[in-house]
Amino acid sequence: MPHPEPAPAHNGPPQHIEQRWITAFENSAIGITMADFAGRFFAANSVFRNMLGYTESELYQLTFLDVTYEEDRKANQELVGELVEGKRQHFEIEKRYRCKDGTLVWVRNNVSLVPEMGGVAPFWFAVVEDITQRKEEESAHRYTEEKYRLVVETASDAVISLDETSTILLANPATTRVFGYTPEELIGKPLTMLMPEFLRKLHETGFKRYVATGQRHINWQGTELTGLRKNGKEFPVEVSFGELIQDGHRVFTGFIRDISERKQAQRAIQNAQAELARVSRLTTMGELAASIAHEVNQPLTAVNNNSNACLRLLANQNLQPDVLRRALEEIVSDGTRASAIIARIRAFIKKAPAEKNRLDVNEVIREVLVMMGHGFEENRIVVQSELAEALPLLLGDRVQLQQVLLNLTMNGVEAMTAIIDRPRLLWVQSRIDESGEVLIAVRDSGTGLGLEAERVFSPFFTTKANGMGMGLSISRSLIEAHGGRLWAAPNFPHGTVFSFTLPVDAESPP
Amino acid sequence: MTRASVVFVVDDDPSVRSSLKFLLSSVGLQVEGFESAETFLQRKPPDAPSCLVLDVRLRGLSGLDFQRELAARNIRIPIVFVTGHGDIPMSVRAMKAGAIEFLTKPYRDQDLLDAVRIALERDRARREQEKDLTDLRQRFESLTPREQEVISMAVLGMLNKQIADQLGTAENTVKVHRSRAMEKMNAQSFADLVRMIEKLKGSAEKAS
Repeated sequence: MPHPEPAPAHNGPPQHIEQRWITAFENSAIGITMADFAGRFFAANSVFRNMLGYTESELYQLTFLDVTYEEDRKANQELVGELVEGKRQHFEIEKRYRCKDGTLVWVRNNVSLVPEMGGVAPFWFAVVEDITQRKEEESAHRYTEEKYRLVVETASDAVISLDETSTILLANPATTRVFGYTPEELIGKPLTMLMPEFLRKLHETGFKRYVATGQRHINWQGTELTGLRKNGKEFPVEVSFGELIQDGHRVFTGFIRDISERKQAQRAIQNAQAELARVSRLTTMGELAASIAHEVNQPLTAVNNNSNACLRLLANQNLQPDVLRRALEEIVSDGTRASAIIARIRAFIKKAPAEKNRLDVNEVIREVLVMMGHGFEENRIVVQSELAEALPLLLGDRVQLQQVLLNLTMNGVEAMTAIIDRPRLLWVQSRIDESGEVLIAVRDSGTGLGLEAERVFSPFFTTKANGMGMGLSISRSLIEAHGGRLWAAPNFPHGTVFSFTLPVDAESPP
Repeated sequence: MTRASVVFVVDDDPSVRSSLKFLLSSVGLQVEGFESAETFLQRKPPDAPSCLVLDVRLRGLSGLDFQRELAARNIRIPIVFVTGHGDIPMSVRAMKAGAIEFLTKPYRDQDLLDAVRIALERDRARREQEKDLTDLRQRFESLTPREQEVISMAVLGMLNKQIADQLGTAENTVKVHRSRAMEKMNAQSFADLVRMIEKLKGSAEKAS
């Protein structure tokens, strides 16, 4: 048992006082240790011994430097030197001990030099507090902060923090790339300087209202807005904002992404799709050319017949005025019929915007079945139509709906060309569905789609050897543009049923 | 000798049908219109030179099927096809099956009228030929069985003596049968008789 130098007595007999000091030393809640001038331990209480994991006899073989973590030794020795040189009375150090089992423990030591007194050699006295937990917390906190700082510094999006008056507190380096301003140019300025004129008022009132009431005027995640660069150019941005309380103040941090390129790509895709849709229409046109030639030739033939008959009768001076009038009336009516057909074809080819009129969908179905007549005949398709009578009128583009129906019926026909063991049945139905919308269904007894039922609607998906895979994708967007839905389902026992709905024109009488 | 010829127009398009009737009647032809093959078939076949102007694409029975149906019913009426979208295989099929012409709309009116004239002329010729054959058959049937036997053997090149031997009769009897038959058949010479019998045989073979 070590014998620390007894403290000066205040009361009671000296032995009692010494005994008290010894007991206090041993039972202290904080580590206490003493080492001789060479640094070798000669006393240590239980807290200190347990901290390092050494027994008393093991510890007294060691100097304080032996148990100090290598990297901390130099700093420790310097302070010890200052104490020895009399530059200070004591010092405090935060350092790491290496325990017996090799682990490190963070401590804060208060060290003083007890001078030679009454023949007792001078020695080191240290009070040792285990601060490992605090150190770990500090380090974790620092790590998190460092991580966030790194994210913000290296982010490709502009990161901007605002106070409650929408004044810029912080801006990361990427802000310069996005907006053209350096962070220094922005800090302390209102956020509105990064917005075009038309958004400023909106932002100011919206921001004030939010700070006052908590009511948001825009969505805070991924909202598309317009930004203003230092050079005065506007550009599309996507903004996400978050809020936190820092030192009692509300801080708003926003991530602002320049989406010019994305927008450009989107536009390019849209243009490409529109072009493909147009090409696909032309292809459909080619397939229908035979039918349309017949349609146009009928009135032209009638016009020629009637005119030639008139010329012949005229040459024979045998043309009665009433016969002439009747012939001319027929010529006019057939001319009108031919030009109506040509107008339809032109609308079909042109990138004509939707022209919505009130129409009877049954009429459109019948027209398409007539147009497809040749195709049905050639492929020995039996067509059954079940059209609900007195359907309410729809608001729709006749040509577009024809195109959708042509596409669905042609798909149906093509799905059945390989069928030889059962009737090739195409079934077209119109009716009012449960929700009061008009529902049109085209069923075939063909090979069916199996698991592809939904994939058929994606662009470029095709099961046909020479298909473009655009037909159904375009049909679906046309129906959706009409406020309806288009979907596919298996037909029982064979084939597929394509159905689409169209909302009824509210002003149409039932 | 012939009754007025008639053109039958079968087209399901009312304005095409009516304009065709007008055109054909403007050159003095008698025309009847039908909207489908079926309605035409309900009509009694005419007893006058006639032809069909037929649209290939008809509702119900198509033009080409109609052509087959007429052949099956032994109605030998010449057909002029008109079509809005004629393709080559279709026209080949129609012509092989005996069509006069295959016109694509819109056609030149003169082409149609020429085709109709040819068709009517061909029908007239056919009807005359058939009439000759009917006369011939009637004359042949007016012969006695023995007379028929004798001339059938004679046209094969058998001598009167050989015929008499085969029939077990006298050579003179054969001569009498032969001259009676020549007279009844209205044959100017033996060669004429041979031609008549060949014609009858040919039509009998064709009929069977």
